[in-house]
Amino acid sequence: MNNFFKTTLTLAKIGDGYRYIWYRNFLQFRRTFFVSLFWVILEPLMYLGAIGFGVGSYINNIKGQSYIDFFFPGLLCSTAMMVPFFEGTYTNFTKLTFQKIYQHILLTRITPQEIVFGEMLWATSKGYFGVLGLSLIALFLGLIQDWHFILILIVLLITCWLFSCLAMLITSVAKNYDSFIYATSGFIIPMSLISGLYFPIEQQPLLLQIIAYILPLSHSIDLCRAILRHDFMDYRLYLHISYLLFMSYALYNLSSYKITKKLIR
Amino acid sequence: MSLDTAIETKHIIKKYNDFVAVNGVDLKVIKGECFGLLGPNGAGKSSLMKMMYCHSVITEGELFVLGLNAKKNFREIKSKIGVVPQDNLLDSDFNAIDNLRLFAKYQQIDDYTAAETIRSLLKLLKLEDFANSEIETLSGGTQRRLAIARALINSPEIIFLDEPTTGLDPQSRLWLWNFMKQVKEMNGTIFLTTHYIEEAEELCDRVAIMDRGKILCVDQPRILIKQHIGDEIIEFFSNPVDLNYYLNRLKEFNYEYQVYNNMVLVFLKSGQDSKKIFDIIKSEKVTVRKPSLNDVFLKLAGYNLRDE
Ligand SMILES: Nc1ncnc2c1ncn2[C@@H]1O[C@H](COP(=O)(O)OP(=O)(O)OP(=O)(O)O)[C@@H](O)[C@H]1O
Ligand SMILES: [Mg+2]
Repeated sequence: MNNFFKTTLTLAKIGDGYRYIWYRNFLQFRRTFFVSLFWVILEPLMYLGAIGFGVGSYINNIKGQSYIDFFFPGLLCSTAMMVPFFEGTYTNFTKLTFQKIYQHILLTRITPQEIVFGEMLWATSKGYFGVLGLSLIALFLGLIQDWHFILILIVLLITCWLFSCLAMLITSVAKNYDSFIYATSGFIIPMSLISGLYFPIEQQPLLLQIIAYILPLSHSIDLCRAILRHDFMDYRLYLHISYLLFMSYALYNLSSYKITKKLIR
Repeated sequence: MSLDTAIETKHIIKKYNDFVAVNGVDLKVIKGECFGLLGPNGAGKSSLMKMMYCHSVITEGELFVLGLNAKKNFREIKSKIGVVPQDNLLDSDFNAIDNLRLFAKYQQIDDYTAAETIRSLLKLLKLEDFANSEIETLSGGTQRRLAIARALINSPEIIFLDEPTTGLDPQSRLWLWNFMKQVKEMNGTIFLTTHYIEEAEELCDRVAIMDRGKILCVDQPRILIKQHIGDEIIEFFSNPVDLNYYLNRLKEFNYEYQVYNNMVLVFLKSGQDSKKIFDIIKSEKVTVRKPSLNDVFLKLAGYNLRDE
């Protein structure tokens, strides 16, 4: 247990090799730009249309807001979760096992820690690409009117990072692709349902509320909404930030340690 | 350690969980030589080599490559060596030339130098026509040449080749042999594993034979043949009834021999007379031939199949 805390809390030394990992993924992304564009930005956009505007039109107000104003920050958070999560699980698992890309890169002077860091940075970038694309569209739709939105973009960046680390951790323990089906249907989707994305968390039984706050997504969503409400005096806002920062840090270290152990045997 | 040592291992051990794949190997490879590692399937050749190119953790012992400690200075080592792994390890998401470009980036070679080097390597390895082909569309031989080009991108001081000619057609193999001879002439150090004993005999200055994680012998092929076999081999078949009689007579005259099914191989040391053998084995069909490294290999590693 002691060892567990040690690996979770000590930061690995990183050289600048991670840049080339990022660059490799960027090159590949550029080649498949339109496919990526489709699912990274258009998918959340469909949710925005169907749930935000569609379902939302039946709801007059929710906690004093229009439904679309309530839903939109949540949708940004879920995009910041989904895109890095899929990049970090399916794509990276394929690179790790079938394509043996990491083994190939390890023939060079790049270290496993640099590979992990570069991969997470990439998954974060891709998630952020989705977040920014969605935000840009929302700006044209008139959903963003407040300069505090810039603060939200910082929260979303942390969220992207956090979930890319979590995805990498799952990749490090996955046996096959089925593991990701369990992780998606058994963890990610239920989390998005109970974390206040579609309706306020308080509406649920206490047990579900507690579970929601143990998991990270609710903290991102609450934080974004609190910022847009200008609730800066609310102590909970700072708890959310602390939670997200700590989890980002710990999950990064843990997954870096796990993948490194898998790569160099 | 002297300056002309390229690789030195000091009793290194590699364990996968409880299984010992490399069991205390001491080796010294000299700069500029072509060193061949022979051994049956599962002998531990790849495992030993992987530790040398810092691709796997050393369980026990010390390993120095170009005077650098493999446990600590693996980054420096990796920037000074080139590796062609058994399974090529190419990046299937990119085409041939992008594989080389990316690899140069990973090795942190500046773009200008990389472009120059890649152009000359494509030419040297006859890859110009395949530069823009995706990896899956390349034949085994072409993939291997690409892996070799990749290994040479940083002008390495040592090049590691794990079974470089396995799965290649005779033309590609011949081409590769010539290529390795060129590398040798340029004073490059080559460390290779192979199952083709003629290949080791043809290319390598020294060979080591490995089995069950241990090195059985190391030397120049010529000397190994002389030491373990002798000058000539006399081969004959015998029916099972007479076999024992023959073997007893051979023993009586101090001949060294090996039996495989109904075939008897007599190893004739220098100074030993072959006439006596012909006296002993009168009726059988007998052949006399020059021994090869293959005979050393079969003598030391045995005839049995290795099922893992
Ligand atoms: N990653 C691994 N985990 C567990 N066992 C392994 C691993 N890699 C190799 N081994 C075992 O170690 C032994 C030596 O393997 P190695 O690949 O070094 O043999 P080799 O001499 O290269 O054989 P071949 O000629 O078939 O390539 C084999 O029995 C193999 O099953
Ligand atoms: Mg092997």
